[in-house]
Amino acid sequence: MSVWTPLLPQAMVGTDRQAQALPAWPGEVGALVAASATSGQPSTDLLRAAAVLAVCSLAGAQGATWTLPLPAVAAEDHLPTLPSGPVQSALVWTLQEGPASLQQQAFAALAHAGLRLPTGLLPQALTLGRRSLALRPLLLPVLGERGLWLAAQNEEWRHVGGVSADAADDARWQEGSVEQRRAFLRQERAADPAAARERLQAALTELPAQERADLLTVLADGLGAADEPLLDSLRADRSREVRQAALALLLSLPNAAHPTRAAARMAALLKQERVMLSRRWTVDAPTELPTDAKADNLDTPRPKNETLGETAWWLYQLVRQVPLAWWTTHTDMDAAELLAWAGGTDWAEALLRGWRDVLFAAPEAAWCEALLDRWPAVSLRDDPASVLALLPLAARERHWLKRLQANELGGLLTVVQQVLVANPPGQSLSPTLSAALVAALLPRLQGQALRDDYALRALLPELCCALHLEALPALANLPRQPDETPSILQALQTMMQVIAARQAFHSLTRT
Amino acid sequence: MQLSTEGVLALAPDDASAKAARGLVLPAKWPLLGANEAAAWGECQGSGSKPYQTQVDLGGPAFRCSCPSRKFPCKHGLALLLLRAQDASRFTPTEPPAWVSEWLASRGEKAQKKEERQQEKAATAAPADPAAAAKREDQRWQRITAAGQELQRWLADQLAAGLGALNDERLRGWQTMAARMVDAQAPGLGLRVREAAAGVRDGADWPERTLQRFGLLQLLCEALQRRERLPEPVQADLRSAVGWPQDKAEVLAQGEAVSDCWTVLGMVIEEREDKLSERRVWLHGQQSGRRAWLLDHAFGGRGFEQAWLGGCSVQATLRFFPGASGLRALNAEAPAAAAAPVWPQVTLADEWQRIARRISACPWMGLQPLVLPGAVLLRQGEQWLAAADGRALPLQLGATDAWLLLAASGGRPLQLMGEWDGHLLAPLTAWSEGAAAPCWQRGAA
Repeated sequence: MSVWTPLLPQAMVGTDRQAQALPAWPGEVGALVAASATSGQPSTDLLRAAAVLAVCSLAGAQGATWTLPLPAVAAEDHLPTLPSGPVQSALVWTLQEGPASLQQQAFAALAHAGLRLPTGLLPQALTLGRRSLALRPLLLPVLGERGLWLAAQNEEWRHVGGVSADAADDARWQEGSVEQRRAFLRQERAADPAAARERLQAALTELPAQERADLLTVLADGLGAADEPLLDSLRADRSREVRQAALALLLSLPNAAHPTRAAARMAALLKQERVMLSRRWTVDAPTELPTDAKADNLDTPRPKNETLGETAWWLYQLVRQVPLAWWTTHTDMDAAELLAWAGGTDWAEALLRGWRDVLFAAPEAAWCEALLDRWPAVSLRDDPASVLALLPLAARERHWLKRLQANELGGLLTVVQQVLVANPPGQSLSPTLSAALVAALLPRLQGQALRDDYALRALLPELCCALHLEALPALANLPRQPDETPSILQALQTMMQVIAARQAFHSLTRT
Repeated sequence: MQLSTEGVLALAPDDASAKAARGLVLPAKWPLLGANEAAAWGECQGSGSKPYQTQVDLGGPAFRCSCPSRKFPCKHGLALLLLRAQDASRFTPTEPPAWVSEWLASRGEKAQKKEERQQEKAATAAPADPAAAAKREDQRWQRITAAGQELQRWLADQLAAGLGALNDERLRGWQTMAARMVDAQAPGLGLRVREAAAGVRDGADWPERTLQRFGLLQLLCEALQRRERLPEPVQADLRSAVGWPQDKAEVLAQGEAVSDCWTVLGMVIEEREDKLSERRVWLHGQQSGRRAWLLDHAFGGRGFEQAWLGGCSVQATLRFFPGASGLRALNAEAPAAAAAPVWPQVTLADEWQRIARRISACPWMGLQPLVLPGAVLLRQGEQWLAAADGRALPLQLGATDAWLLLAASGGRPLQLMGEWDGHLLAPLTAWSEGAAAPCWQRGAA
């Protein structure tokens, strides 16, 4: 019901068909309408009434009454915001156009300096956090109270935020985001492993499968015999993901009942033959599934387009459950010898794929090195970089240095690609490897090589995120080529921006 | 000059330029950066072998760049100012090189020549034949008055037939009517008829919105019939409302002059059809308490003659257009050095009172500047609202801007300035009580 409502029937039907006296309005407005209805023509009188109402309603408008309570305001922030200046503009560029790992570094640097994001960047940062799971744990500490409050206002950002970092333990566990809950559980696990396990166990029934599997990985820290009953019961979880996570953890408990049973089954399939003076191991695949296959998670159905045959598949399932250490002890062969031996058997693919799965669940450096030295490309479809990622940083870098020094064709590109896959974001390469990479890159950047090397060119910005800070100045001031194409220029400019941004973020951690 | 990143970005002719400029704020891209008190300059490495020479006259700011971009100011000019705003110490204080000093000198000369021309014009202001001019003016008024009569009959016909009977064919008749108004040299009337046509069946309340538009047109037509008996300021408003622009030179020479330190309450640049951009600058006089509205147009991304920065204040003598609402003004000289803004201290009741007074003096002003003290941003479904003093106004605000404003507020009350069209408030600037710099400006993402 508005001031216009009494006029509408006449205006809609038309004064020709519904000629009647104008309705009356109260007060001075009504008097003015009445006083101006003197034209003798119903349509003109209607227009005059509209004129009076139009001006009076425009002049008297003050919005609608609002009686609902106002929403809660954001809590006071105690962290200062990043002040405006070169670092902030580097941050603006990074959020808009920078590589993902640079965004992570930016948030980490801000958190390290005890700063929070400027409010003007919060919507964009939350949108990034929504898209990238990897970014969320780093984003959380720099959101500040304002950012957490803002995230709660938008359905799409809600799971990025969480509760305030100041909240009580219980609130962080009950109401926090997935990241906050994981961080909280990890903290508790470090202080009191049993309490963390019991807290997780109590919550398992109400958690969705993905979160159950996610939080279960926290138990990897300080894993011990006390965790076995829970893990063993989770082998029967209704989610495959959770069962896999539990089995993976059990591989790190070689004395637990399940891996022991698996080792016994495996031992029955391995035989030692005497040939001339030496002895040789042989392996058979199971001829049928054991009756308790389901109880021991050996009954995963074979996918339709699987390259392994039926019995090889059964063998593969069994190998996946046996800790790698058992093989070296039982056969008295080391990892390299075992890999070579497996290659000579009829069951190479089943063995190698099984070992690969165990290696990813419970990494062992010796096996990684052995695999990288003799990559069985026929049996394993993974990129060697994924195995490199399992190695400690120093071992990884030795491998890459060797590769760079070999100076093979395409070696630089392969190393750069592997570095970007294997290097955890936020962790810089060592000065030695960085210098070696820059030394290999510079002739290409200065010559014609970059012109045709699209693959390498596209990786430059991300590589600059991973290089050690000391190595960056060598790349920051490249001489310009007279015949640069716009796309080379674009790549070099982005690279320069990354370098400038990293140096800016680094200046934060210095102060 | 006080420079802020937001203020500089507000000078960008469009979002793409602002984004491109941000990408150039990289000291490595600028092998040369220099400045003195009057200007800043730099050489920017572009895609060619020769760097672009970019310079900014800080007094304006006015821009010049050797790049081929048709945008004005171009990304290089904006980036130079951004660099300056972020870290003035990067600029070597030195004597300007020839390419800068020559430009500055030529700017000075041009300004001087313009002034001379204006003085000459003022001297010879008397038209060659005042009688002929008066006659021409008279003829135009006659045509417009006749058009007003025709329009009034047409309006009555529409209501006699009823808005419910509107169909596409009849709506085409509205377009014809609009074109007839343009032919009769009353484009303002034509525009209002076209707006009314566009509003038909737009939203649930379209019948009352249409009646409101018709009511204002009826008032305009009746005023035209008795134009000569109306006070002079109202006659001037009529002239503007029918789309007969006032002569700017006349306004500059004879308009009411108000010298003050003006706070830029808000600024908006909107892209119109045919590459035309319209800029509206809303000012508040710190001593006079007067509000002023500067309206400019620019074609093809060429930029505006005078640059205005949002969220600062400027000493200037404005010349007001004749008219009862006394809002629209011109600024003769380029704005002098900018200082920190002094925000008006207002109460909501006062603000509504000002608007009521201006609308009763001249009901045909489309947009009114409104400062909402203590406004809280709210969301109802997809609609954003600003609540203040127990009342809420619906906002016209894009999602990006709205979330930034919400982030800036943290749910707390802010001082919010915007353009009020009688139904929706389009926020332009927000600041916190007691703070000098605005905490949010529209489009400064």
